[in-house]
Order: sequence, then structure tokens, then C-alpha cells
Amino acid sequence: MSAEAPFTIAAALLQAGGILAAAPLLKTVIKKMKARLQNRRGPPLLQGYYDLAKLLRKESVRSETASWVYAAGPRVYFAAVVAASTLVPVVVAAAPLEQTGGVLLLVGTLALGRFALATAALDTGSPFGGMGASRDMTIAALAEPALMLGLFASALAAGTMNLGVLVRGLVQQGPSWHPSDLLAFAGLFIIVIAETGRIPVDNPATHLELTMIHEAMVLEYAGPDLALVEWASAVKELVYLSLLVNLFMPIGIAMKLEPVALLVGLAAWAGKVSLLAVAVTLVESTNAKLRLFRVPELMAVSLGLAFLALAIRFL
Amino acid sequence: MATLAAIGLPAAILVRLFAAATALALARRPRACRGAALVGSMLASLLTVTTAVEVVASGHSVEGALFRHAASGTVFDYAVTPLSAWFLMVLEVIALPVALYSVAYFSHSLAASRTAVVGVAFNVLLASVEVVFVSSDVIAFLSAWEVMTLATTALVATEHQERASRRAAYLYLVMSHVGTGCLVTGFLVLAGHAGSLSFPVLLSGRVVSGPLRDGLFVLFFVGFGVKAGIIPVHVWLPEAHPAAPSSVSALMSAVLITAGIYGLYRVCAFGLGIPDQNWALAFMFAGMLSGILGVLYALTQTDLKRLLAYSTIENSGIIVLGLGAAMMAMSLERPALATAAVAASLTHVLNHAVFKGLLFLAAGSVVMATGTRQIELFGGLLKRMPWTGLFFLIGALAISGLPLLNGFPSEWLTFQALLLGFTATPGLVRLNFPLAGALLALTSALAAACFVRAFGIGFLALPRSSSASRAHESPLLMLVPQAFLAMLCVALGLLPGVTLSALDTVVVSLPGLQTTTSMADGALGMASGVGRFDYVVPGGFGLAVLGALLFVAAVTARRATAPRQVPTWACGGEVTARTEYTATAFSKPLLMIFKAVYRPRREVDALAEVSPYFPQEVRYRAEVEPTFERYIYAPLVRAVIRGAGAMRVLQAGSLHTYLAYVLVLAVVLLVWLGGTR
Repeated sequence: MSAEAPFTIAAALLQAGGILAAAPLLKTVIKKMKARLQNRRGPPLLQGYYDLAKLLRKESVRSETASWVYAAGPRVYFAAVVAASTLVPVVVAAAPLEQTGGVLLLVGTLALGRFALATAALDTGSPFGGMGASRDMTIAALAEPALMLGLFASALAAGTMNLGVLVRGLVQQGPSWHPSDLLAFAGLFIIVIAETGRIPVDNPATHLELTMIHEAMVLEYAGPDLALVEWASAVKELVYLSLLVNLFMPIGIAMKLEPVALLVGLAAWAGKVSLLAVAVTLVESTNAKLRLFRVPELMAVSLGLAFLALAIRFL
Repeated sequence: MATLAAIGLPAAILVRLFAAATALALARRPRACRGAALVGSMLASLLTVTTAVEVVASGHSVEGALFRHAASGTVFDYAVTPLSAWFLMVLEVIALPVALYSVAYFSHSLAASRTAVVGVAFNVLLASVEVVFVSSDVIAFLSAWEVMTLATTALVATEHQERASRRAAYLYLVMSHVGTGCLVTGFLVLAGHAGSLSFPVLLSGRVVSGPLRDGLFVLFFVGFGVKAGIIPVHVWLPEAHPAAPSSVSALMSAVLITAGIYGLYRVCAFGLGIPDQNWALAFMFAGMLSGILGVLYALTQTDLKRLLAYSTIENSGIIVLGLGAAMMAMSLERPALATAAVAASLTHVLNHAVFKGLLFLAAGSVVMATGTRQIELFGGLLKRMPWTGLFFLIGALAISGLPLLNGFPSEWLTFQALLLGFTATPGLVRLNFPLAGALLALTSALAAACFVRAFGIGFLALPRSSSASRAHESPLLMLVPQAFLAMLCVALGLLPGVTLSALDTVVVSLPGLQTTTSMADGALGMASGVGRFDYVVPGGFGLAVLGALLFVAAVTARRATAPRQVPTWACGGEVTARTEYTATAFSKPLLMIFKAVYRPRREVDALAEVSPYFPQEVRYRAEVEPTFERYIYAPLVRAVIRGAGAMRVLQAGSLHTYLAYVLVLAVVLLVWLGGTR
């Protein structure tokens, strides 16, 4: 612990708090844009917050079959995802907790959250939970190598595995315009779609047992437990999108802790994430959900793109 | 302390032999026999630990003679080098809790008549492994190696009334002897060229060169690979590990495979001179193959102990992958990189031993409580065995490589070794590294799926059989060793810097490697590469996770009333054990996706009397093709049997013919020897 410790803690609290606050909005914005594409009006922009507030006020209802693991699942999932959000540079070209680790810690922490939620899903004895857990772990296992390889492509080009250092290096070097960036971005975009449970991998709007994955896993949750899961999933999506925009388009990110730079950074981040959200919406609105056994092909494409990115960069 | 350390190892072996003798003498009184064998074992473990810790701390080897026979001039020397001491430490860290666990475990699940045999074999096994780790003489090494095999065979065949156990023991014996045959040949060739039987001379790396060196490498790789459980010479492991009593399975999976790993280190990587690039590739390839296939096979197992055994193959693969990366760096003369890779591999030796030991002990408790090894028959055990369940969960989290537990640091280090290897290697060969990294990522993600399945299906929801619903918690003596290992999982996960600092003397003692002090970032952290390429402080990050958990508590704890308990909704039906998702169903998507590997087979017979739409009875059978057994070993066995049949012509059963053989042989030898004079 150094003299910087209070500052680090404050920064971490600020970033985690900011992302927690912004995440429900992102979810609603995507829903709203999707609705507009379907000629519906869609929910009001604050609907995400109303939903969370409602769920948090409700009574906790749990299955009598379940053990303490069932209650621990959403809590560990939430804690892991929120803690992971402090490892990614968002508005400033530094992650609050970058001194504690980089890419591998980020991926590991998200895996910890997934492990907790999937395990808890098996606790009620309902076949839906098992089905969801099985599918979620399957897709995550297939996504993991592509995710790692895509991140390695960026990290090896920058000569560091730490996201804060990496983004600072990118800003200082200026854009490389190397085609490998495009390939790695495309590969990671597919993974982000898969990891955040969006069409064509999963459908966040369905409750049909043949198609759902994430929703099946959390089907039994209610009240505050459900609020934690929903909130954490939104945070996870925002973290992934922030990671993607700052790894490949670190334009406008604040390099100094000055009010102007911070405001520009905030605006740039919001703009870039919105842009990516539009892309996610378009993909979700123009595609049909893939059959579960077609998803591996999509993951293989992503893995291939990441590998190509590495190959053309270094050979 | 220093004097105790100087004699610790021979003293420990004496204690073990004495304990074995006492156990044999007390064979009629199982209670006393158990006590003598296991307390003796614990005492010996403590003695060995003092020596090992002293050597690792100081970096100076402890040497001496194990056996001296003045009349014949036979001396068997031993040397506890830092590398030996590291493996000894790993051995005893597991052997201690296993012995304590066995005190209660044997009394419940071992027939009284077999206590003595198991007690003797237990001590002889540990003594021989200790000798394997320290002997600096080929004869002593190979003798101990053979004793180790025989003692293990005895333990695998403990339940010898069952056909599967006998088969497993036989398979283990055959495979081990194939390996030992390779080792004997290799060592004899090496000794012939060196003109000596002592390891310091033999393994100086200057004895042989050229194609002979490559040939010897292959012999030693196969010989030690069998014990390490490397695919494709792994076939004995998933049969033998589950067959032994659970506490012995823990010992086998956690530390017996490290005997093979130790050999790979001592001879293949550091004993034959600077490794060839192709050797390094062979290691990396074998490591990747074992890792991915090990975990894929583990995923489909419904026998908990077989699942753990396959996962041992996976982890052995990760260890060998790290060592392969180190050999690649050595062949390219990149000492810093080789150091990082060796540190990764040796850290995983320790971490795997701890969490696998824990998982096997917890599995032993479960098997004892339910009387079955089938995950499909468990369920709901967390409520009936809360402590065992918690310890299994900790082990499951650790083996999945998740942060805050001890699987994460070694996986992190292995990733570093691979990424730095990529930056350091020229040419196309470098693409192997990110490929290995991607496969390692897949392996660890599949391991997570595998252990979500093992824990979730096995311990959660409703009991799936009457024996699971009657299960009860194990006695305290079986829980304390598990608690110890679980705490070690957490401690090693939060303090990875301690492991790395301890490894410093071990790594420095290996030829061509550097200090690891720059890799240990205090007690809490790790760093790698030039200019802090990457670093991690799991404990510091753990505080962030803790902070987030406190936030959750604050958000959700406004309501004072307890959560309402309701039945699980099951579409209007009732949730019973039969509606629960099964372990087979859980891994089905992965089975379908990796069809090419598994080649699953499934038969469904619906027996109907009136109409096929109203079957009276449905029979279902599913099988994963045992590829290696069916396509490599079965033809091999057939060829051996055919060959043996052909040889029978020579063995006519007539004494006169045999005498004629002897005569012919003697004449031929005389002519040949006379010709060479």
C-alpha cells in the first residue's frame, strides 16, 4: 500500500459506481432502438432503472430445494463483474485497479462470475436451470480461446498484457491502421455478442425452453436476487463494449486528469459505446437466432479471425 | 534444525520401514496396525519436510549415503538437491493430510483383513517415491522406481475381489513395465557411454550427442511419460486411480504422477544437454494433447473418481506444456524465458497436487457416504455433507483456474511463458505458442464446465438416489485434512509471490536458468517479462471483489424478513429427482460439438407390445468410443499375442530341446567372443 492507495480506491469506486449507474441505460437504449426498428415505440429510457428498483423492493422468494449456493450465485456473479469493471480503462486511459492485473485477471474474474451463476442454476432441481447452465458453460468454453487469442493479438502488438498500459501505448503511438486490428476487432465483436447473450447466439427476449440460454439459467430467480443478475449482466455488457472501443478506437480518451480532458473523454466514451450499441442492435435485428449446434461455427470463425490477426501481424 | 535436516531423509525412510514392519506384525489387530502405519507415515513425512524445507530455503543440497556395504564396495548415494526438495515438499504436503485422513477412512471402508497390506504398501510406496526423488545412482533409482510400481499395484488391487480392480492393477503393471523397460534401456546406454552409474556424471549433459541423444530422449520421454500420464501412454491412469482406496487415489493423482514429471525434468529437460527444438515441440504437443483430451474425457465421465483421474491427465499436460516452453527457450538460449516457463510448470506441480489431493479426499468422503461413485446417483449432498461439499467446491473453483484460488497463479504463469515464448521465438515455429495459448484457454474453460457439472449435479438440488438421501457427514478426522488442503488452496492463490520466492533456489540450481526474484512481486503478486509485460496481485483484486460483495449486502439487506421458501416451479408438475438435469445431459452439447473426438454411440430400444407409440420399456445405452484403447492398444495387444503364439514353437516342453538351445547358444557365444578377441 502506497500513498496512492486512497486515490486508487476513490478512482475504483467512482468507475464502478459510474458503470453501475450507466449499465441499465445501455440495456434500455438497445431495447428501444430495437423497438424502433420494428416500428414499435419501445420502453422509456429510464425503464431499466424502474425495473431494478421494483425488483429490489420485492420480497425474496427462493426454492425450498436450494442450498446457500443458490443465494451466493447472483452475489458472487455481481461482485465479480463489478470488480472486473475496474480493470478496464473507460473514460481515462488508465484502469483504476490496473496495478492488480490485466487481461488474464479480467477474463478469469468474468469466468468466476459465470461459474458461480451456472453452479447456482443447478440448485433448484428445475431442468431449466440445468439446461441453461449446460448451454452457458458450453458456449463460454467455446468462446474462451477466441476471446483470449483476440486479446493476445492486441496485447502482443503493444508489448503488454495490462489494459491500462496497453491503451496508453495505443494513444501515444497513434492509430496503426494495421489490417490485423480489423480482424481482431471482428473476432472479438463476435465473442462479445456471444458473451452478452445476444442474437444470433442467445435471445435475451425469449422464455422458450428450446432457445433460451442465459434466461433459462436464471429462470428461478426473483426479487432482489434477480435484480442482481440483471444488473450484473448489464454491467458485463457495458464492460465488454468499453473494452472493445478502447482497445481499437482509443480516440478522445482522457490522458490527463483535467476537467476538460475528462469531459471530452466521457463524451467520447458515451459516443463510441453508443455507436457499438447501434451495431449490436443492427446485428440483433437483422439476424435470426442460430441453432445451438451452429454456434460453434460462429466461434470458429472468431477464432480464425483472431489467429489470422496474429499471423499477419507477426509473420 | 540443521542437524535434523542433515539426517532427515534416511531417518524418514527408516521410520517408514519400521512402520511397515510394525503394521505387518500387528496384522491381527487392525486398529493398532492402522495407527502404527499411518502415524509412522506422518512422522516420516515431517522428518522429510524438515530436510526439504531446509534445502529449498538455503539452496544447498544435502548429500549422504543411503546404503553402504563395505565388503562389496556398494554405496548408494543420495542428494537432496533443490529440485528434489521441491518434489519432496509437494509429496509430503499431500502425504501428511492423506495419512491423517486414512486413519478414519480405512477404519470405515477397508476390510480389516486388508489393513496390514494397505498399511505396508502405503509406507513402502512413500519411501520408494522419496528414494526416487533423491537417489543419485542409477541402480538405486531404478530399484526404487520398481518398488514404487509394485507398491502401487498392490494398492490398486486392494479390492481384488472385483474384476475391474484386478484388470486395472494388471494394466498398470504392464504399462509401467513398458515404461520401466524404456528407462532401463536408456540408463544402460547412457551408463555404457559415461562409464559410471552415478547421476552427476550420467546427467551432466555431455555424455552422448547426435542421433543417439535423440533416441535416448525418446526412450526417456516414453518411460517417464507413462508415469506422468501423458497421452497416448495414459491408458492405465483412468483405470488405476479410481480403483485404489480414495485416500491412495489422492496420493496417486497428486504426487505419483509427479514422479514421472520429476524424471522428465531431471533427465529429458536438464540431463541430456541443451534440449533440441524438436524435443521442445514434442513436449508442447504432448502437453496440449493431454490437456485438451484429458479434460474432454473428464467432461463425459459419470464416475466421480474417473472424472478426477482424467482431469489429472489434463493437468499433467499443462505441466508438460510449461516444461516444453522452457525447453524451447533453452534451445534458443533465452534463460529469462526458460526461467519463467520452469517457474510456471513447477508452480503447477505444487498447485495441482494441492487441489487434486483435496478433490480426491472430498470424493472419498462422498463415496464412503453414498456407497457409489456415480455422479448420477448423488445430488443434494451439500445439505447432508456441508463441510465436504464446501471443500469440494473450493477444489472445483481452484482446478478451474479461477482467480483468488491457487489454480489461477499457475495458469497465469503458463500463459506468460507461452506469450513471452511467442515474442522470443523466430520464424513460423512461434505460431505454436498462441495456438497453445488458445488451447490452454479452451482447456481451462472446459475444466470449469466439467467442475460446474461435477459439483452442481453431485452436490446440489435433490438427492438422486436413496443412498444419497441417507448420506451423512464424514468424521472430523476426515474433514481436518480437507480443511487443511482447502486453506492451502486459498493461501497459495492469494500469495503467489511466496511460491515464486520459494522456487528461486530450485530454479537457480538448474543449469542455464536465472533467479525468479524479479517474478515474485512481494508476497502477494507476480510479474513477468521485461518492463513488467504483465503483473497480477490477486489478493489486492480480491479486496475489490470483497468491496463489491459488501455493496451487494447493503443493497439487498434492507428487508429483515427471511426469504420465502417455495417449491420449485416445474410447469405444473412436481420437481423430483427424475426431473432434474443429469450429468450426462449437462455434457451432451459438448459431446455433440466434439463428436469427432468422442465418436459417441447411443442405442435406444423401445419395447412395445401394442403400439410403438406406447412403449412398455425403454432401454438406453450411451458410450464414448475409447479411441486410444481401441485403435492403438487393442491391435498392439493382438500383435503381442500373435507373436507369443509364434514363439510357442520354440517352447516345446521337452527338456532335451531346451538343453540343445543352451548348447547352441553357448557355442555361438564362444565363436563370437573368440572372433572379437
